[in-house]
Amino acid sequence: MADSTILTLVLYLPVAGMLAIAALPAGRDGLVRTFTLSVMVVQFALSIILYAHFDPAVPGLQAATSVAWIPAWGVSYLIGLDGYNILLVMLTTFLGPLVTAGAFSAITKEVKLFYAMVFLIQFAMLGTFVAQDLFLFYLFWEAMLIPMFLIIGIWGGERRIYATLKFFLYTAFGSILMLAAVIYLVYSLWTTTGITSFAFADLYKARLPLEAQQWLLAAFAISFAIKVPMVPFHTWLPDAHVEAPTAGSVILAGVLLKMGTYGFMKLGFPLFPDATRLATPLLSTLAVVSIVYGACLALVQKDIKKIIAYSSISHLGYVMLGLVSLDLLGIQGAVMQMVSHGLVAGGLFLMVGMIYERCHTRELAAYGGLAKVLPVYSVFFLILTLASVGLPTTSGFTGEFLVLMGAFAAGWRESAGGSSYALWVAGIAVAGVVLGALYMLWFAQRFLFGAERVPHGPVADLNLRERSILVILVAAVFWLGLFPDSAMKRTELAARAYQELVATPRTPMATKVTGPVPAEAAR
Amino acid sequence: MNFTAVSIAMAPEHLLLAGIVALIVLDIISGRARAALPIAVVFVTAAAIAAAWLGFAGWTGAPFPGQFVLTPPTAFAKALVLALAVPVLLMSKEDFGEGAFYPLLLSSLYGVCLLASAESFLTLFLGIELMSIPVYVLVLIGFRRPESAEAALKYLVLSGTASASFLMGASLMYGSTGSLGLASFGTALSSPDLLARTAVVMVVSAFFLKAAIIPFHGWAPDAYEAASVPSTAYMAVLVKAGVLIAAARVFGTAHVAEPLVGLLAILPLVSIVWGNLAAMRQPGLRRMIAYSSIAHAGYLFFAFLGDGPGRFQAVLFYLAAYGVMNLLAFAALPANENDIERDRLENLKGLFATHPFAALLIGMAMLSLAGIPPFPGFIAKFLIFKNVIAAGYTTWAVLGLVGSYLGIYFYLRVIQFMFMSPEAAASGHAPSRGIAMGASLICLAGSIVIAVLPSLFLARF
Repeated sequence: MADSTILTLVLYLPVAGMLAIAALPAGRDGLVRTFTLSVMVVQFALSIILYAHFDPAVPGLQAATSVAWIPAWGVSYLIGLDGYNILLVMLTTFLGPLVTAGAFSAITKEVKLFYAMVFLIQFAMLGTFVAQDLFLFYLFWEAMLIPMFLIIGIWGGERRIYATLKFFLYTAFGSILMLAAVIYLVYSLWTTTGITSFAFADLYKARLPLEAQQWLLAAFAISFAIKVPMVPFHTWLPDAHVEAPTAGSVILAGVLLKMGTYGFMKLGFPLFPDATRLATPLLSTLAVVSIVYGACLALVQKDIKKIIAYSSISHLGYVMLGLVSLDLLGIQGAVMQMVSHGLVAGGLFLMVGMIYERCHTRELAAYGGLAKVLPVYSVFFLILTLASVGLPTTSGFTGEFLVLMGAFAAGWRESAGGSSYALWVAGIAVAGVVLGALYMLWFAQRFLFGAERVPHGPVADLNLRERSILVILVAAVFWLGLFPDSAMKRTELAARAYQELVATPRTPMATKVTGPVPAEAAR
Repeated sequence: MNFTAVSIAMAPEHLLLAGIVALIVLDIISGRARAALPIAVVFVTAAAIAAAWLGFAGWTGAPFPGQFVLTPPTAFAKALVLALAVPVLLMSKEDFGEGAFYPLLLSSLYGVCLLASAESFLTLFLGIELMSIPVYVLVLIGFRRPESAEAALKYLVLSGTASASFLMGASLMYGSTGSLGLASFGTALSSPDLLARTAVVMVVSAFFLKAAIIPFHGWAPDAYEAASVPSTAYMAVLVKAGVLIAAARVFGTAHVAEPLVGLLAILPLVSIVWGNLAAMRQPGLRRMIAYSSIAHAGYLFFAFLGDGPGRFQAVLFYLAAYGVMNLLAFAALPANENDIERDRLENLKGLFATHPFAALLIGMAMLSLAGIPPFPGFIAKFLIFKNVIAAGYTTWAVLGLVGSYLGIYFYLRVIQFMFMSPEAAASGHAPSRGIAMGASLICLAGSIVIAVLPSLFLARF
């Protein structure tokens, strides 16, 4: 069993790091960088211990800490690991040192503040993943906005103010709706069962009439869909990505977007199962539209950052598709895809940053034939491109393949009931894979091959720091591609629990238990 | 009515009175009263401690039955208001090292304390007047701009209108219920007769006027802008707190039902929306804060839609969070010889590069006022909307929340200026003096406590 002290350490190390950075003398940028990197590495090492000790056979929470926080409202400080979040915690702590090291040469102004913000956002993201109480979740969820707002706004590109305000206001709008839904949900739980609690485990017992479920799901879904982002709520993403500094982009693509899909998996769907099942056709349609539309947009971009930004929309469409398939493999594939996309897109953004530092342009047309000039860079870039396309042996393949399996399984299940809609959806999703291969490979071809064009050249190939970052990253991509079992094992129980939660009707009509839930039912 | 009960139950008021007397005596004896600020701070702090002690000791008493009552919640309300007054006093060293500012402020505080304990409409009226009249002068003094006089007059006239409306409402109330006690308001609320309804509307309108709820808000931006920073801070936080505490006392635990819901929801909602929208267009910090405080008054009146028992708690908690953060913004504002310059938002540009600590504090205050977690402003807003939803007004709550969303932009703009813009060309700001920083540290400590351990407060009110 994983240990709760270590989880607390992992969660609060960034806060300690932030305070320590504030105390460091000004102007010692090198010291700040080294210090941040070492804290991040320690944090990752600690989370490896958590991962190793995480017992896949135990359902429910591990390494949990529970303290009554605002008893009058039923709010508790409740954090813990379950199969839902263990991989995402790993992903976050894994990317931490890479982001830190990747920004060594890129960030030269306000270095102290920058790393303080990286710490802060790390804290907020981890908190979002490990919180098991809705109030706490909401606090972390929102707290993440502030450091990101500053990261894009201070160190971003030309139109950074516009982009960062757009990002903040978009996300905050979803959060406001979610807040109203949260309050209403907790209030309903109280009126139907007499429990005043924000703990997820209690909220799963709330019995709501279908109409209320639909309203609440809509509120939650808009908030999460903005974060994912699903089409049509995606318009903030390209702006934010293009203007953000490299580190910001990596955090955004690597972890932040997963908060949205995680929210759907942990809250949105299981809390309102009846509404979810009713809305499945709509949700899967939106997922597929995201897949195809994102891919089409990526196909026509001229800015390399935008290509990867739009590819994110497409790849996260698969995650959503897996989640709504309600098939065990599909759900596990969705989690896999979340992690894989974090690694691959994070890596690609890092590489875009590396080339931008050398050539100072993100215009795709300005480049060509990099394979001859920057062989090491090109090898890594090609590996990540292929992982993004979903080549077998890479993590991308595992996720995508499982999601499609799940989608087809859901399709056959549906067609047994006489509707072939879900099968069509799965079929179109497969077409999305082809499109994905098309835009990524075409991008790599224009970028790495053909006539030699290096703006501001000649430039040096990757240095040791950059190589180390990429080697570690690529190793992780292959590890998940070749040995997915270790991760899959840990998510299996959570996926089953999710499946069951969403499959069980929970309107007051379908009740098995009415009135206060007996104590033995409370886990 | 025995002497000990009176002297103990009214200890905070007595201490304030002693402070006022001491300040006046000091002014008569020595022309240059350097000691005015320390004396005022000592007496206000003592009064705050006395009020807190009364609250913790669970002291209840009615030294003047039917007029003045003391219960733990009212004692805590006083403690809160008096504690918030300390940073205002500290801030005022720059602008009013001496002079009439302190006795006026203490008199006004006395009025606020009276409001918290009022048990009848008479005492309440006394409190409201005692709170407001010194503020008319506070708008004027220490700030030599022609607009000050205009703004003070505007405020005087509109505030006078509010008093008249309040008196008229109280007398109609007396006519319809036969009592001047605050409980009669609850009776009038639920009574269908026209006289009582008119009375309720007039009293509520008076509160709206005093709290600058739209459409009665015209005076606020002008008065805030014309006054000097400490006076503005006092008006934005303490006067608002006084009015809201008075309103919470009047409403008591009465259930708000149709048709009053419309009055209590629509006008505050309009205030939230319009206050937030208008705040975006303000070039000066003080006008922005004025519009923002119009919006915050809207949130506060939303609390009255909520269930009766939690109402006083929600209002006080919100006032605590809002007050602490607003004062923090004012206290951390870099000093500037030229008050008009000091007020310009443009001058905050690049503040983080020059005064990182002040910029961080103001940034925190802005995010808190915007209601972004994890700052105390969020928890306070959460409590209010929680009560509104629990009372069954989900639609209003959602509308109010969406209205609050509109405010985020202009708070963010301040942060954008401080952190993301190159330094202002004409930034001749000296850093804030130590004493103002002290004020902001007090506020910071308070806000951290509110954010991390809200239970401490919630259990008390």
